[in-house]
Amino acid sequence: METHAVHVAVVAVLALYPFLYGFLVGVDVSVLGVHVGDLFDVFLPRITTMVFVLYFGLFAMSFDFVSGYTGYLSFGHAMFYGIGAYFVILAGSGKVPVLPAEAPFMLMLLLGALLAFVVAVLVGAVSFRLTGVYFAMVTLGFAEVAHVFVRNWSYVGSNPRDGTSVEFDRAGYEVGVPFVDGLGVKIGRLTGDSFENVLGTGVDLGTADVSFYAVGVVVLLCYLAMQRIVHSPFGRVMVAIRENEERAEAVGYNTFWYKMGAFGISGFFAAVGGGLFAGYRRSVAPENTFDLFVTADALLATIIGGFGTLAGALYGFLFHEVLQGILSTESHGLARFLRGTLSDGVLSAGVGEFTVLEFINVFVDGRAGLYLGVVFVLFVLFVPRGLLGTLRDRLDGTVAEAVARRLRRYRR
Amino acid sequence: MTGLVLVDAAVPLFAPVGITLDALSKAALYVVIASGLSLIFGLMGVLNFAHGSLTMVGAYLGGAVMVAFVSGASGDAARLLVFFVAVAVVFAALTALGAAIERTLIRPIYDREPLFQILLTFGLVLVIDELARIVVELRGLRPQTEWQAAIGTAPDFLSNRYGILGTPTRGLYLFEALVGLLVVAAIFLFLTRTRYGLYIRAGSEDAEMTQALGIDVRRAFTVVFGVGSGLAGLAGVLLMWDPRFGASVPLGVEALLIGFIVVIIGGLGSFKGTVVAGVLVGFVDALMTWLFINYVDFPGLPELVMFLVLVVVLVVRPKGLFGVAEVGGH
Repeated sequence: METHAVHVAVVAVLALYPFLYGFLVGVDVSVLGVHVGDLFDVFLPRITTMVFVLYFGLFAMSFDFVSGYTGYLSFGHAMFYGIGAYFVILAGSGKVPVLPAEAPFMLMLLLGALLAFVVAVLVGAVSFRLTGVYFAMVTLGFAEVAHVFVRNWSYVGSNPRDGTSVEFDRAGYEVGVPFVDGLGVKIGRLTGDSFENVLGTGVDLGTADVSFYAVGVVVLLCYLAMQRIVHSPFGRVMVAIRENEERAEAVGYNTFWYKMGAFGISGFFAAVGGGLFAGYRRSVAPENTFDLFVTADALLATIIGGFGTLAGALYGFLFHEVLQGILSTESHGLARFLRGTLSDGVLSAGVGEFTVLEFINVFVDGRAGLYLGVVFVLFVLFVPRGLLGTLRDRLDGTVAEAVARRLRRYRR
Repeated sequence: MTGLVLVDAAVPLFAPVGITLDALSKAALYVVIASGLSLIFGLMGVLNFAHGSLTMVGAYLGGAVMVAFVSGASGDAARLLVFFVAVAVVFAALTALGAAIERTLIRPIYDREPLFQILLTFGLVLVIDELARIVVELRGLRPQTEWQAAIGTAPDFLSNRYGILGTPTRGLYLFEALVGLLVVAAIFLFLTRTRYGLYIRAGSEDAEMTQALGIDVRRAFTVVFGVGSGLAGLAGVLLMWDPRFGASVPLGVEALLIGFIVVIIGGLGSFKGTVVAGVLVGFVDALMTWLFINYVDFPGLPELVMFLVLVVVLVVRPKGLFGVAEVGGH
C-alpha cells in the first residue's frame, strides 16, 4: 500500500485540479498593479487543455510503451491514433458497416482499438524483420501510406483533406457502461452534460470538467493496464530486448513474438487515445491524427518526460501543453497578457523600430514550437533520461519506492 | 472542339514520351534532394532529419538572392547567371551552417546510441522550421505556402513550353534534368577523386578500420555533414523555381519524406543506390501522376505508391537495393 501513496497522490491532485484552477484564477488580489488571478490564468493549463493532456498523454504513453521499453523507434505511431479517432467519428456518423450510429461510445472505442491492434500486428509482422533506422523508416512508410490514403479518401467526407465531424444531432455519444449511463456522463465539450450542486455539496461541474473526469477515468485504467504489463514477466522481456536482443534470444525467448505483442498492445492503447480525442472533439482531420508531427509530439513528450518511464510521457506532454498555453495567441496567452498589462512607455521602448511590443509579437505570440524545439534539443544533449528518468536515477528507484522508503523511516 | 478530340486521341500515343520527360525532371530533383542525405548516412550512419528543413532554408535563401538581383538584370542570360550565383551562395552558406551544427550539436553525442542522433536532428527540424516562419512573417515573404515572387524569377525560355515529339513540356523540366546530371557527376567525382570521397567510401565500409588507419574521421564527419547540408540547400534552390514545389515552410517535410524514400530504397550508404532509386521513384511518380490525370480518380496516388514501393523494397530487401551490410559507426 505504501508504494502506491504517490500514485494516489497524483490521481488526487488531478481529480482536484478543476477546483484548484477555479479557485486560483478567481483570486481577486492585485500586486503592483498586476491581477494575481490573471497571472494564474496565463501560467496554469485550462481544463480543456488538461483533457487534451490526458488523451494525448495516453497516446504518448503508448508510444513510450513500445519504443521506450523495447527500443524500437516507431516513427509511424500516429497511424494507430488516427485509426482510433477516425473509427469513432465514422461509426458515430453511421459509416461503419453493421455498427449503428447509436452504438455505445465505449463499444466504438473498443472496436477501434481492436482494429488498431490487428493493423499493428500486421504492420509489425513485416516491420520487425528490420531493426534500428530501417524499422523507424518502414513504420514511417506505413503511416504515410495511411496518411495519404485518409487525406484523399472521399468516403470520409466531401473534402477529406479537411477531415470530417460527427453528423448526427444527438447531444453526445452514449457512454454505454452499465450504471454510468444513468448518471448522464457524456464525453464532448460542447454538448456533454454539466452537473450543478453535485451530491448536495454545492459544487458545480461544467461540461469541460465532466469530460475531464470521464476521459481521465479511461486514461487511468489504460495507464494501470500498461503499467501492469510493463512490470510483468512480459515487460521484463521487453526491456531485455532493448538492452540486448541477442542475449534475450539466446536465453530462449522468441523475441519476435514479444515485439509483436508489445507493438499490438501499444497500437491498441494509442487508438484508445485517438478515440477519446475524437469523442471529445467530435471532429478529426488528417493533420491532427495521421500526420508525422503527431508522432513527433508524442516523441517530444516522451523524451522530455523520460524514455522508458511510461508515466513520464504524460508529464512530458503536460509540460508541452503548459508551454504551448503560455505562448498561445489566445486571450489567456502571455503575449496578450503582457500587451494588456505593460504600460505604453515600456511597450514602445527599444532600439529603432524594434520595440518591446514588436519583440512580444514576434518571439512570444504563438511561438511555442521554437521553444519546444530548443528544449527538446537541450534535453537530448544534457538530460537524455528525461524528467522522470533523471529523478529516478537520483532517488535510486521509482518515485513511489523512494517515497515508501521515506515514509517507513518516519514511521519508525 | 476538334482540337480537344485530337489531344485526347494523342494521349496514349505520346504518353511514353510525356511520362519519360516528367520522370526525368522528377528523378533529377529527387536525386539532388537525397544525395546529401545519402552522403551523411554513408559515412556517419546519422539519418539527418533536418535535411528537409535545410532544403527549405535553401529554397528561401536562393529565392531571396534571385529576387534581390533579378530586378536589376532582366535578360534571360543574366537571370540564369544569377541563378548560379544563388546556387553558389546557398551552397556556401548551408555548408557552413551544416559544419557548425555538426561541430556544436552532433559531435558531443557520437558515443551514444544512434537513436539520439535521430532525436537531435529531429529537434533541429522544429527549431529551423519555426525560425523560418518568424523570418518569413517578418520580411513579408507572403504567401507563406508558395512564394510566387521566387518562381517568377525564372528566365522566359525556361518558363515556356516546348513540344518534344508531340508532347508539350516546360523548358524548366529539361533544365532540372541537366542540373541533376551535373550534380550526380560532381558528387561522383567528389567520391572517387578527392581525399574526403575516399574517406566516405572507406568509412561506409568500415569506420573503425578507417579510424585505425590514422584518418581523422572526426574531421571528415564535419566536412561531409557540411557538404551534405550544402547539397540540401542546392536542392532547395532548384525546387524554388519549380511550380510543383516552390519555397514554403511545409516544403521541408515534403523534401524530407522524398529524401527518405529515395535513400532507403537505394540502400543506406550507397550513392549508386541513391541515383538508381531516384530514377526509379521519379518514374513511379511520373507514371502514377499520368494514371491519376487520365484514369484513376485518387489525387494521392503518386505519393501513396511511392511509399508502397518503399515498404515493399524494405520487406523484400531489408537493406535496400544496393545497401551495404553495416553502415557507419563512430
